[in-house]
Amino acid sequence: MMAANNYFGFTHGGTQYGAATASAAYGGQTGYAVAPAATAATYGTQRAAATGYDTAYQAAAATQAAHAHAHAAAAAASAYDASKSAYYQQAAAAYPAAPPQPQPTYDATAKPAYSTPATYAQGARGSGGAKAAYGSVYSAPAPAASYPSQPYSAPAQPAKPLYNAATMYVAQQNKTGGGGGWKNYNKSGVGAGLGRRPKPPPKAQQLHYCDVCRISCAGPQTYKEHLEGQKHKKKEAAVKLAAAGGGGGGARACGASALRCELCDVTCTGADAYAAHVRGIKHQKVVKLHTMLGKPIPSTEPVKLQPAKKTVAGAPKIAFVASGGLSTVGCSADCPPGDKEDEREDDADAEPEVQPVGQDYIEEIRGDDGKALSFNCKLCDCKFNDPNAKEMHMKGRRHRLQYKKKVQPDLEVKVKPSMHQRKLAEAKAQRMLVRDELWARRRMHDGVEEDDRVYWEGADWWRGPHHHHHHAMGMGYGPVGRRPETSDDRHVLAKHADIYPPEQQLQDIQRAVSHTEKALKSLSDALADQGKLKGQPAKVAAKVDDKKEEKPEGKEDGRDNQLFSFVGEGEAAPSGSPATPGPGTAGARALKGVMRVGLLAKGLLLRGDRDVRLVVLCHDRPTVTLLKRVAADLPHHLSRVKGSSEEPKYKVELLPAEGAVSVSDGSVNVLVSLTSAIMREPAEGGDIKRDDKDVLPRQKCLDALAALRHAKWFQARAASLQSCVIIIRIMRDLCRRIPNWTPLNPYAMELLVSGVMQSAGGALSPGEALRRVMEAAAGGLLLDHGPGLRDPCEKDLVDALGNLPPQKREDLTASAQQFLRQIAFRQIHKVLDMEPLPKVKHAAGNWKFPRKRRRSNTDQDPDTPNGDNKVVKKEDNSE
Amino acid sequence: MVRGAGRGGRGMPGRGGMGRPPFSRPRVLMLRPPFDLILAEPAFPRCKPAPDDSALTQALLKRHTELCPTPTEQAAVLSLITKLQTVLDNLVVAPGDFAACQLEEVRQVGSYKKGTMMAGKNVADIVVIMKTLPTKEAVEGLSNKVNEELNKLMRAEGLSPVTCASHERGFTVTAAAAVRVLVTTLHQNLRKLEPEVHLDYKVISSHLAAIRHSRWFEENAHHSSIKVLIRLLRDMCARHAGLEPLTPWMIDLLAHHCIMNNPARQALPINVAFRRALSLLAGGLFLPGCAGLPDPCEAAHSRAHTALDLVAQDHAAATAQTLLRVVARGGHRYVLGLQAFEGGKDISTEITVWDGVVVSPLAPAYSDTPEPMDTDDKDEEGTQDGVAA
Repeated sequence: MMAANNYFGFTHGGTQYGAATASAAYGGQTGYAVAPAATAATYGTQRAAATGYDTAYQAAAATQAAHAHAHAAAAAASAYDASKSAYYQQAAAAYPAAPPQPQPTYDATAKPAYSTPATYAQGARGSGGAKAAYGSVYSAPAPAASYPSQPYSAPAQPAKPLYNAATMYVAQQNKTGGGGGWKNYNKSGVGAGLGRRPKPPPKAQQLHYCDVCRISCAGPQTYKEHLEGQKHKKKEAAVKLAAAGGGGGGARACGASALRCELCDVTCTGADAYAAHVRGIKHQKVVKLHTMLGKPIPSTEPVKLQPAKKTVAGAPKIAFVASGGLSTVGCSADCPPGDKEDEREDDADAEPEVQPVGQDYIEEIRGDDGKALSFNCKLCDCKFNDPNAKEMHMKGRRHRLQYKKKVQPDLEVKVKPSMHQRKLAEAKAQRMLVRDELWARRRMHDGVEEDDRVYWEGADWWRGPHHHHHHAMGMGYGPVGRRPETSDDRHVLAKHADIYPPEQQLQDIQRAVSHTEKALKSLSDALADQGKLKGQPAKVAAKVDDKKEEKPEGKEDGRDNQLFSFVGEGEAAPSGSPATPGPGTAGARALKGVMRVGLLAKGLLLRGDRDVRLVVLCHDRPTVTLLKRVAADLPHHLSRVKGSSEEPKYKVELLPAEGAVSVSDGSVNVLVSLTSAIMREPAEGGDIKRDDKDVLPRQKCLDALAALRHAKWFQARAASLQSCVIIIRIMRDLCRRIPNWTPLNPYAMELLVSGVMQSAGGALSPGEALRRVMEAAAGGLLLDHGPGLRDPCEKDLVDALGNLPPQKREDLTASAQQFLRQIAFRQIHKVLDMEPLPKVKHAAGNWKFPRKRRRSNTDQDPDTPNGDNKVVKKEDNSE
Repeated sequence: MVRGAGRGGRGMPGRGGMGRPPFSRPRVLMLRPPFDLILAEPAFPRCKPAPDDSALTQALLKRHTELCPTPTEQAAVLSLITKLQTVLDNLVVAPGDFAACQLEEVRQVGSYKKGTMMAGKNVADIVVIMKTLPTKEAVEGLSNKVNEELNKLMRAEGLSPVTCASHERGFTVTAAAAVRVLVTTLHQNLRKLEPEVHLDYKVISSHLAAIRHSRWFEENAHHSSIKVLIRLLRDMCARHAGLEPLTPWMIDLLAHHCIMNNPARQALPINVAFRRALSLLAGGLFLPGCAGLPDPCEAAHSRAHTALDLVAQDHAAATAQTLLRVVARGGHRYVLGLQAFEGGKDISTEITVWDGVVVSPLAPAYSDTPEPMDTDDKDEEGTQDGVAA
């Protein structure tokens, strides 16, 4: 009903207004000011006074806004005739955000109102030229000639607040409609309207009032600044939002106990808060201002406002017309409100029944007379002078929050998430969502990429060693599994590359050994032929022929580190049973085969190593005679094997004490030991031959046999372990360099390393492997009470460490302990005796990057990745 | 070659390696346990007769009896802690007018609870979990209340009154024995702590950890051998400067590992376990880059020894290494403290001669390098930083 009233009021006002327009009493917008005054005068008792609250135009806009809310803009347009529709459309355009919300009840009451304007419009049109002027005023897009300094032709921006104000006003009406407050408001408004009826003479007072913020500004300049300010814009937005959100301003008030100060547009949740607001300075200011504006100054003075409009683009707002005082007075009279923003926040939720908490944390500061002067809340770090304030504070939300935060986390404090917080939370959730998705996507890519990378990297890792065709180490270690290369790994590998023998040295050794092996084979053949010539001369030629044909398939020398048998297929049978020894037995070769042993067989040669060993297995106990025979014949066979080239001059030397001959080409020494499997057996029946002076020294022969077994063990067990060969090479170097480690015999060291690798239960990278070896030694493995290193090549329990003296064991352990800690603290270069390697460039987790780039750069422009890199980084940061 | 094409095709050039948290992690997983002779036995079968270790065993047992608290001490602690528990339980159930704080739970922790108390140190620990946040005022209030209530009980029994003294962990109740009341709060309150208002966060969470530790201990380490070894190790660590930083919790874990973690899952003899403990420490169990002992009471991948700083880790390892060699030369009586070494000197820092074999201490390896050790797996922090980069 009220709304209807309103519209009726408006209608009349509108008519009046139209008349005023027609009369062209005003040059510019002053007409707006005049019109409401007239309205107030004519229909003072009507609800139309509300329209008087603002300018007539504002009232119209308010209606407009309400309309825009209630109906679609199109419907609004159709309700009016063409000339008016322009106006409405523009108004609608100013509220683009306002969703058309059908409000049936409102609609019903509103309808009559709308019908009236229609008639009014006709009437207005009837009144002649005024219509044109009117239309041009409101259809802002086309600035009419009749209003040269027309503020409406200015961009829509400054105009908005005014619309907003109007909207809010309407919203207030809606919300409070029917409430007691409203009635009072209305009534007092009426009263005020009546009181204001006589027009006082225009006062030359310029007031710059912002209707949204309800403040006045001292001058146009400050006013303009205010309009552009953050605070104002926020409010404006909030108001707009409230208006847009259907429920209007009422949406903000929470709970039934909400009290509202209409004057300041502040909602208080409790009587306390409300009282505080009313007492507050802010509210007082507003009251004062409104009183000033409203009551004493009718201020419907068109002339007064004009200059302001000219100066300020956002003029409509400036043109606050004091007729608004009508309602203002009512408000100030009866809703005692004041406003304090922060107070509202703090106390809004405090309810009367809340128990005060945290008494213990409030200190009383007493004066000299023992009277409490002030109070200090330790939790909130604030002071009060008034015991009442203290009570209030203890009930207050802020204090309770602090108490909850600092003392009792399960205390219930009503949480009222502000708009700002909610927005933040939403934004955060959004960000998280986006990030998750991004990660998921990236991970998918990376899964592929990672596999790819590791594959290549793994291959790359071993590229160094593979380049050299050191045949001894062709077997045993494949690419390491998927693990990144640590700094320790890089150091070990660098050191390894350093101690690894150069290609030339390997080739020299290879050639010398190969020649020696071939010469021995040839010698063996010669010896066999000699023996057979006595017995079965006929067969020999054929056999030799056979062998020669077979040669391409069979091996030429002992390059695979297995036994290089001199025995052809045909002869295999007789030599298979050497159980009955006897010199010169027909059908058995004296020299059965040769095998590489020691460093050569194990692939442990280091830079600078010159001495390699071969072991020749004899059919029978090797004798000095045989050794001499070999020494004498070998040079001849060597020269035959090496062919015509003169280059290596081999020198053969007889070493009877060693049970060996030495073949030397100047740079490489090949020690050829003779031994026989029979040498191990004479444990029982050995005494028969003991006095045989001709036989080579037994221990040497046994050593040679052991070396053979060690080589076989190494190839079977150690070489197949991850990192083992590398670490043994490193350790060989270490034993060579460091006196404390020298007593550790090579075989024991190999056993130690292989045992450590084997017990690791998985592949180890070189760095880890070295550290683990040191851990084992540091943990006391080599000390006296330790288990010892069992020799796997002996049937009995033999400690490969032998009788290492206690002091040596002690020194060895101490040295390993020091090394271990050095490795742990990134000083592996000290252990390896090398310069520390520079860090990988992208040390912090990007270890793979440089490698990758290097590889991809081979087929790409080397400059691009850097640029891309930066771009990607930025993206990442912005996430 | 293949990869080059693949990357180009993906249309994200240069994306590799940039800020990919999930994939800089594997380094943490790479840490491997140290060489442990007991576990590596198949690779190193004993090939000579085991040394006669009865002397060591005897010495260990003798020392252990010295380290056990006397019945009087135990009785004193028991009586005090029972009363205190009663008082605190009352406060939990019926706080009455006591409003300084609200108690959630009261638990006994530490060496008393675990049964690893040492002679001469009859201090029991009890953790009080507050429902409210542990402000200093609350602790003070609780202390006063406990003092009041406890003295009521004491008077009733005609005993001398107790005293309560607050400190940064809570307060200590002292009578014939002492009980440290350690204050903590509910887990969900941890992040609400503020340094100037409440007790220190680290202290609070360490008290929570203490509860987890006692619980774990109860379930896993109840074997007597473990308790014996814990006492021996704690005593040994207390007497050697380098091992002092090892916390009781690390020692608990180490002892449990040494006794129980073997292929047979049967408790090892005490002499073997003792040697093993020294050998593991010497072998770098608590050095950076080693998996160490996983902490069963913390989130996955956390290692017990990371609480030590690098200097302490180095020093502890070096000390254990020297002690290992001393014990190997038959110096266990000094190491165990059965016999004072040259007027109470720390044997781990002296050059000693045993049957002509010189055993010398080792120099520290760690030095404050200008550039921090953050590149790879040496310390967890470094790798986690890699995530952020």
